[in-house]
Amino acid sequence: MNYPVWDVSFGAGLLIALVAILHVFVSHFAVGGGLFLVVTERKARRANDTALLGWLKKHSKFFVLVTVVFGAISGVGIWFTIGLISPAATSDLIHIFLWGWAIEWVFFFLEITAALLYLYGWEKLDPKTHQWFGWLYFINAYLSLVVINGIITFMLTSGSWVRNHEFWRGFFNATYFPSLAFRTAIALALAGIYALITASVEKDAALKARIVRWSACWAVPGLAVLPALGYWYIRRIPHDLWASARGSMPTATTYAGYAVILLGVAMVLALLTLVKPGRMHLSFSLLVLVVALSAMGSFEFVRESVRKPFVISNYLYANSLYSTAIPGDGGFSVDEVSAAGVLTSAKWIRNRDLTASNQAEVGHEIFRVECASCHTANAYRGLKHYLVLRQWDQAKVEAMVGGLEFMHNGVMPAFAGTDAERGALAAYLSSIQPISAQAASAASDGGTIFAQNCSMCHQVAASDPLFKNLISDPASASNALQDLTSLFPLMPDLKLTDRQRLELVEWINTQRSAKGFNQATQGGK
Amino acid sequence: MLQSNLIPVLDPNPLPAPYWLLKLLLIVTFTLHIVAMNFMLGGAVLALTAKWSAKHREHGKRVFFDVAKKLPSLLPATITLGIAPLLFLQVLYGQFFYTSSIIMAWPWFLVLVLLTVAYYGFYFVSFRSGRDSRKVACVMLVSTLLVVLVGFVFSNNITLSQTPARWAAKYFAHPSGWNLNLTEPTLIPRFLHFFVAAVAVGGLLLVFMALAAWKRDNAYARQLLNFGGKAFLFSTMAQFVVGPLFLFTLPRDLRMMFMGDNPLATTLLLVGIAGGVAALVVMSSALRNGNIRAAAFTVPGLVAVVIASMAVMRDLLRDAYLKPYFHPEQFPVKTQWQVLPLFLALFVGGVALWLVMIWRYGLLGGRSTIAAEASNMEDGGTR
Repeated sequence: MNYPVWDVSFGAGLLIALVAILHVFVSHFAVGGGLFLVVTERKARRANDTALLGWLKKHSKFFVLVTVVFGAISGVGIWFTIGLISPAATSDLIHIFLWGWAIEWVFFFLEITAALLYLYGWEKLDPKTHQWFGWLYFINAYLSLVVINGIITFMLTSGSWVRNHEFWRGFFNATYFPSLAFRTAIALALAGIYALITASVEKDAALKARIVRWSACWAVPGLAVLPALGYWYIRRIPHDLWASARGSMPTATTYAGYAVILLGVAMVLALLTLVKPGRMHLSFSLLVLVVALSAMGSFEFVRESVRKPFVISNYLYANSLYSTAIPGDGGFSVDEVSAAGVLTSAKWIRNRDLTASNQAEVGHEIFRVECASCHTANAYRGLKHYLVLRQWDQAKVEAMVGGLEFMHNGVMPAFAGTDAERGALAAYLSSIQPISAQAASAASDGGTIFAQNCSMCHQVAASDPLFKNLISDPASASNALQDLTSLFPLMPDLKLTDRQRLELVEWINTQRSAKGFNQATQGGK
Repeated sequence: MLQSNLIPVLDPNPLPAPYWLLKLLLIVTFTLHIVAMNFMLGGAVLALTAKWSAKHREHGKRVFFDVAKKLPSLLPATITLGIAPLLFLQVLYGQFFYTSSIIMAWPWFLVLVLLTVAYYGFYFVSFRSGRDSRKVACVMLVSTLLVVLVGFVFSNNITLSQTPARWAAKYFAHPSGWNLNLTEPTLIPRFLHFFVAAVAVGGLLLVFMALAAWKRDNAYARQLLNFGGKAFLFSTMAQFVVGPLFLFTLPRDLRMMFMGDNPLATTLLLVGIAGGVAALVVMSSALRNGNIRAAAFTVPGLVAVVIASMAVMRDLLRDAYLKPYFHPEQFPVKTQWQVLPLFLALFVGGVALWLVMIWRYGLLGGRSTIAAEASNMEDGGTR
């Protein structure tokens, strides 16, 4: 609301994801590949293996073309992109960690210089000096990871920084070391996996076999330690955040599953390279790379997902509102905007008055400043699809927007704005996909009624308040569900028909007995 | 709607160092960035000019490839040296810079794509060193044009960030980010001012190459000196047209700042003009006498003074543009003493290590026995 919102039709979140994913694929190779180059050079020179050295020269060219060109530009690219889509978060991170970024820049500059001199120095430098450049490259590349890792993990686990605002508290946060170890392992694994590509086009079968075996020495252990390091990482993530990836949030859970499966497949494929290493084809090496990168992409996606609704945990929401009012926030916290209203608080909107005739238009502006950092109307994380699935009419949308912060394990921040503005947002959302009240109340089987009205906050689980506490007697339970807000003040004021309530209660009872949940007593709600 | 209401509020986190230090780092690192950019862009333009205008085809081709081989190093130097000023710009002027970037988000984002393509193009040319095909020249031309376009997008963004009065109309007409700042009267003169300066400094790159080759291949070195020196002379003379054009398109009160109203700004402009004139005189004399030392040491010394004064003038101009909206005295400051000294130590250590690196490589007349060849590509093979 402080900054204008870039209206990306296909989804601002998708654009960030694309740039970031492409960058991490290359940046981890840039770190691990640096060590691979210099260690392999040392090995080849000690064994006087000119064939291996010849391949390594070609590989170093490939390395520079991928990492220095694409890696460097895409790294700047993430910075450009987050500045365009999350300027408040970017500004916060730059203010909080300015000297961290500046230190990283020093390492980055040395890293790039060393990479170029290493590449150009193959024929010009004596072996010792050449390897000195290789080590300098790797050390600086690794140090840049050491720095950037502090800032990335801070976004997920800001810890006590939120209270004391001390640089090193934020930097060496709860997930710093597991993340550094995890990313180091990824970097080493990718060093071996990328090397398979240049190895696969090598014509000398004996040389190819040597390189493939050597690459597997990097890829296999790197992949093998990831589960243990991942477990350590997960243990350091607050339990309530990690719950998203364990079933509370559909997308995070799905990608967590992909990450595990793809990591396993990557491991198997990496081992398969050893079966006939001298005959490995380019297509197979690309397959290994694609699977490994997909596993890594899934991991990054889970990390980003469990961080939601925050972009900086316990500090700034993904929609650039501060989670609590802080001095100098300009009134851009959820509570302040709710009190003053979006139309008063937001700088970059045109409509300052809400009337009966401009509801949807105002709602569109509210959508842009509050929702568009993650959602679109009908593309990436499109709400049209969501509304069709749930069959919510305008009244239901309005009621549900009042409880956004409870949906899917709290993946979204609370709606910030007045009740009238919430109504305007509902009017806009309903204009994307008009659903009549009649259609909205057409669902007649309990499962569908649950999916459409309850599943965004409640889960079919013994510990869920609905399954735990709802009394089993259908008539009494149906009666209790008549007025949800009196049941729990933060529930939306949904109005189901008598028949729908009965169907829902019966379905809940069926689930409880089928899954062996302890049934609530008459004393429950 | 009052424009000042649209200016985003300051970041709630205080500046992590005194304002003056951040400003100093901004100006110093920007100057380094602009020098690298000038070598890269000016070098690329002159390489193409040499190829297409040289009387002796072989000479033009040799200059073309000798410069082309340096571009894959000069472009990342430009990018990496650009990161630091962009960082300090964002911490001081984020309110203006983020906003203008968002208003012209797509052109700004596409800078990344343009740079990537240009970069691979430069590598393509350098890897085909000595192969005199039309394709190589075309790739070089495309890459150079893309880099010029990147510069033009930067000029758009910087001018837009300084003119908040234009923001609302542009943003609300196209919130999708398809905007530029083409109606800004200073845009083209400003862009040309930078472009022409880049060609002049690109001329100095050729002069440095002449210096490196002076003993090894004197005839070729003299050609480089002559070509680079003339490029410097012509473009610096052109600057005496473009510069005043830029000055006179500025709003009157800002223009007058450099013409008496602000003593510092006026002095810097006079220093800049005097330095430019002196550089012209020294270079033309050096070319007449074949004096490589004057061309490669005195002229760059004078140009360094000009660039430094221009960098400070540019900053004064930005603050004058933003005077109604930008109040640095309102910045909360909380110096991060627990980390600032570490940065300063690493920065100094980093510069020292960098110098050791290029010395060990053989640049700076270091230990490599083939120092003059040092910046060439490993598979160049033209000599």
